Amino acid sequence: MGRRRMRAVVAVAGAVTLAAGLGACGGGDEGGGGGAGKTLNVLIGANTQYPQEFRAWQKSIADRFKAQTGATVEFEEFATANDELTKIQTSVVSGAGPDVYAVGTTLTPTAYSTGAFVKLDDERWQKVGGKERFVPATLGISGPDQQNQVGVPFVSRPFVMAYNTELLRAAGISRPATTWDELREHAKQLTKGDQYGLAVAYKDNFDPWKFVWGMSVQAGNPLVDGRTARLQDPIVRQAYQTYFGWVTTDKVVDPAAIGWTNSQAIAEFAEGKTGYMALTSTTAAKALDDGAVKGKWSFALLPTVPPGAASRPATGVEAASILSGDNLLVADYSDNQDLAFEFVKMATEQDTQLDYYKAVGNLPANAAALQTLQSDPKLAPVAQAAQKSVATPFTGAWADIQLAMTNVVVQSIPDLSKGSVSDAQLDGRLADAQKSAQSALDRAK
Amino acid sequence: MTEQSTTRTRRRGVTEQQRPLWLLTPGGLLMTLIILVPLLLAVYISLIDLDQYTLRRWLDAPFIGLRNFTEAFESGLPRSIWISVSFAVISTAATVPFGIAAAVATQNAFRGRALVRAVFLIPYVLPSFVVATVWRTMLQPDGIVNTMLAKVGVDGALWLSGPTSFWTLILVEIWAAWPFIYLMALAGLQSVDGEVHEASAIDGANWWPKLTHVILPYLRGPVLLACLLATLHHINNFTLPYVLFGAPAPDDVNVMPMIVYVTSFQGLRFGLSAAMAIVSLLLIAIPLFAYLRALRLDVHEDGGRK
Repeated sequence: MGRRRMRAVVAVAGAVTLAAGLGACGGGDEGGGGGAGKTLNVLIGANTQYPQEFRAWQKSIADRFKAQTGATVEFEEFATANDELTKIQTSVVSGAGPDVYAVGTTLTPTAYSTGAFVKLDDERWQKVGGKERFVPATLGISGPDQQNQVGVPFVSRPFVMAYNTELLRAAGISRPATTWDELREHAKQLTKGDQYGLAVAYKDNFDPWKFVWGMSVQAGNPLVDGRTARLQDPIVRQAYQTYFGWVTTDKVVDPAAIGWTNSQAIAEFAEGKTGYMALTSTTAAKALDDGAVKGKWSFALLPTVPPGAASRPATGVEAASILSGDNLLVADYSDNQDLAFEFVKMATEQDTQLDYYKAVGNLPANAAALQTLQSDPKLAPVAQAAQKSVATPFTGAWADIQLAMTNVVVQSIPDLSKGSVSDAQLDGRLADAQKSAQSALDRAK
Repeated sequence: MTEQSTTRTRRRGVTEQQRPLWLLTPGGLLMTLIILVPLLLAVYISLIDLDQYTLRRWLDAPFIGLRNFTEAFESGLPRSIWISVSFAVISTAATVPFGIAAAVATQNAFRGRALVRAVFLIPYVLPSFVVATVWRTMLQPDGIVNTMLAKVGVDGALWLSGPTSFWTLILVEIWAAWPFIYLMALAGLQSVDGEVHEASAIDGANWWPKLTHVILPYLRGPVLLACLLATLHHINNFTLPYVLFGAPAPDDVNVMPMIVYVTSFQGLRFGLSAAMAIVSLLLIAIPLFAYLRALRLDVHEDGGRK
């Protein structure tokens, strides 16, 4: 009896939770059109670094939006890209949910492939202030082509290197490396005693593919060619070899780095005993200023000349970073689409964008706003990286390809610890990656 | 025990025809809503080609029969099944001696027993996420475990990558899961009548024969049940491998929950992952069914079968 009663209680609790969940899902779309009495729901990534500043910005834009349109803006936050994906999935299935989504650039193709977001025609682009309002590079991942764009650039988070100005000066290095070969040479010069040339997060789940993608694109292989994956390719192979070589043959990276995530690598660099932090963004500034490296570090563009070359080949692209940041997407099930685009317009205005930058440190996608930040010498390399960012291939298969590329590194870590990844091992893993990337592309619709 | 007897007396007043079965309706409805409907939905999803492209109109997603299942078996699923099952069986087998020993050791009263019992339960009450995070930190290549090993002259290992990761997963699972066996064994020990202890004392049994011939047979039932539940729990454990190793996981710890997770939420292939989930459900049902048949837990003395 007791057990049965217990079960019933659990069942009722489950049903209540379920009903509450459904209610929350449906809460998004009362009313229609624009103006007073309406509520606009905006889904945006939580900011764990500057939560208070982030809330203050939300309140300020919501107040202004209320004054302008009479509508209330409600922000809903998600913790990780996966949470957002889940939210998109449930909203797509139920046809109800947030009106506006801030979606990360690498997730935008996936969001696009669901077909659940409003495509921007000329009229809609005008509504949000016109394409010319944005840094041209940021439009690179708004859609698969000019006619099919869904994402309005919101913020940039380009990837850059950080370097220890003091250590570089002491080693007689006058400016940070601009080619991958030069970076390796610098790193060798900087490695001595308990000091290492490079901090690299080999165990990170998001970092590794960005190196391989960058080196490959710079050497003229975009990884995806129409509907063909090009991972089993000498260029990609050399990119992985370079990336692995830093720790295996060049020995310019702390051997413990095979267990590091990006934040661990940052923490190491912040201790002031590493020449370069190989991949980071403005969001790391706070952590660096809290460390021993305070006042002794600077951002620099990632190298844009592929490994083994002194200059970029004709087919190569000057990719300083993946196009990284957030786009604003309007859900096509929303009854408040006009209002949503008005909000997008406000969120991408110069002043709003600068306020947002001051609040949380994300670079504006608004061209005029970014221009005003160029004068800050510390930010100049980052702003430049934003302009030289290149979009990753716009395909719904990208998530799988990214995963396959990361998996090559994950499975190679034991070999990295032994000191070498043999050609046969690398080729075998590249073949697996190629297979899964190609099958993802074959399924793309 | 007393509850069962009162149940029996109450039931005796009602004949089989008069049983108020309609009272089960609310429970039945909830069971349908919460268990049956999602289960049927999962079966249906496993038969359609549901991915990010078809998600929006998922009812129109193409029906592809058993193709998801064949693809699952052609991809990593059989290997994942093997990893999951061996992980679960080894973990269970390894936790049983610990659990029983701890239960026997804390059976007799001694000063500080309550404290020891409480300490034994710490791994069990800690959230899996915390356990995994702490172990991950300790098992870093330059983490505390390798540092300590180096101090005693042993070369550390690469705990979180490659083939060692499988044993790391088992090690951490044992650490976190043995108190469950301990709890069940302790409950079993409590049910050993005081008279049994007296009788064996009168018969002059030493502690070892008493343990093996008198006490342990009492524990057989609860510990077997604990083994079954623990094994199922090991097979279903997602948090531990996910937090310890991240996704994508090293091939050696690509357990079933990991592969289902990656297929659903990183590869966005809901049809394929539903097929994988159903295969793992069936797999879990086998030992469960065997156990329920063996113990006849589903038949009460006053139940339908007589």
